[in-house]
Amino acid sequence: MDKSTIVCRCEEINVDEIEGAIRLGASTFDDIKRLTRCGMGPCQSKICMNLVRELIATNLGVSISEIPPPRMRMPLKITRLGILAGKTSSSNVVSVFDEASLEAGERQND
Amino acid sequence: MTDQYDIVIIGCGVIGSSIAYHLSEYKQKRILVIDKGFPLSGTSGSTQAWVWVHNKVPSWYGELSMYSAELYPFLERKIGDVEYKRTGGIAPFFAQTDWDKALRLAEEQAEVGIKVEVLTRDQVLEKEPALSPKIAGATYSDMDGNVNPFRLVELYIKAAKRNEVEFSFYNPVTEMVMEKDHYKIYTKNKKDAITTERVILAGGPWSKEIGELLGLDIPVKQVRGQVIITEPLAPFLKHTIGGMRQAENGEVLIGFSKEEVGYDRRTTMDVIQETAQMAINYIPSLAKANIVRSFSGVRVIPEDGFPILGKIPDKKNAYIAAMHSGVTLSPLVGTLMAELVMVGETSICLKRYSLKRFMNYA
Ligand SMILES: Cc1cc2nc3c(=O)[nH]c(=O)nc-3n(C[C@H](O)[C@H](O)[C@H](O)COP(=O)(O)OP(=O)(O)OC[C@H]3O[C@@H](n4cnc5c(N)ncnc54)[C@H](O)[C@@H]3O)c2cc1C
Repeated sequence: MDKSTIVCRCEEINVDEIEGAIRLGASTFDDIKRLTRCGMGPCQSKICMNLVRELIATNLGVSISEIPPPRMRMPLKITRLGILAGKTSSSNVVSVFDEASLEAGERQND
Repeated sequence: MTDQYDIVIIGCGVIGSSIAYHLSEYKQKRILVIDKGFPLSGTSGSTQAWVWVHNKVPSWYGELSMYSAELYPFLERKIGDVEYKRTGGIAPFFAQTDWDKALRLAEEQAEVGIKVEVLTRDQVLEKEPALSPKIAGATYSDMDGNVNPFRLVELYIKAAKRNEVEFSFYNPVTEMVMEKDHYKIYTKNKKDAITTERVILAGGPWSKEIGELLGLDIPVKQVRGQVIITEPLAPFLKHTIGGMRQAENGEVLIGFSKEEVGYDRRTTMDVIQETAQMAINYIPSLAKANIVRSFSGVRVIPEDGFPILGKIPDKKNAYIAAMHSGVTLSPLVGTLMAELVMVGETSICLKRYSLKRFMNYA
């Protein structure tokens, strides 16, 4: 792999960008993901996961088994929003507008 | 890393890194920032990142947010492109009865110079045609916008490094001892104590634990928020909507949930479903959009909802900055905290935000 080899196809992140993040001190997949967006695209790191773990291991001189995989999040497969939508009205999902109009004393701000 | 500093900042989220950068502009002090993880592993890496002003109430809190939003364009000139966009913000409401509330909000904010307009359904749809025709109206302000939190924290750190601030990552602070005129700070990776004249606590959702190291009771709640993200879509949302925004790459970030479940960053099916439903209520056409992923973060919310900022009462040379809406407030908080430490007084009075307000009740 040379510096310009693409590691994350979804976000078009190359080896150089990954190594740049490692030079800043990143040492897990998630550290690199937040700095470069590597792994944030549609495949959700299925393609880049082990390539990135290998790069971290090589650059830091540790075994790949010591590099944890990225945090997996729902939905594991791309899903239409309309299919995800629940029928229940929300209790935790609050509207910004309602927040601003809470009575004094119980006001919370986002 | 030597072991003597003038200032040690604990926590390298958007607040700690902003304070470090703003302090470094004075180019006078030896500064160290310590983080138990890597920057962005805390709340600042899992946020909607609106720079949101218009319905921050009461108006004195809105005013603080406004001054901070106003600093963003200047900040960008100093540290680089953080993708700050002043899009204007729309907070839709669905009930006719909300009109009164909206008008009262506009009146209250006008007192401090925040221009809030109350828009009819037609006026909102003209601004943002994708919104649901079922909304009754919306409040609107052109002060609101959003920023890329990843770029923001990275550029704060890079700018601070250029000014010789030192950073120590993956190095939790485990103990603090206050001596006569300095603090001894013990960390996991270093046998000997780091000594510093001043210490600044910027631990976000961990503020309580860090406070305890100094024998303090810092009254903050941990409140989880879950967000879902679409695949990149052609640009169709011009504004930051109270509830969602479209990022520069086309992804829409949706969500606004609040759960007090401690430090638990799982995403859960029920909230994700509710969030999806909310998205469709706001923007019906989103039903056809693909959801790629979700994330969750833990907010730090002081018991009364307002920032805790300033000198720590009864502790010499110790300071704290803990707040929700840290992304909105970061340029201002960095500026004010740097003034407080370097000059001893601030251009905006911070008395109201002192930790002292909680101590009086004890
Ligand atoms: C879903 C969600 C949406 C949000 N939306 C917005 C929004 O639209 N606009 C807005 O302005 N705000 C928003 N917020 C809030 C905003 O993200 C936070 O206010 C902000 O990120 C807090 O930054 P911080 O630097 O205080 O905390 P953090 O980013 O959490 O940083 C604290 C740091 O302290 C470190 N630390 C902790 N303990 C120790 C220790 N013992 N030793 C060393 N280091 C330690 C941690 O590792 C961490 O890096 C949102 C939050 C969430 C969860």
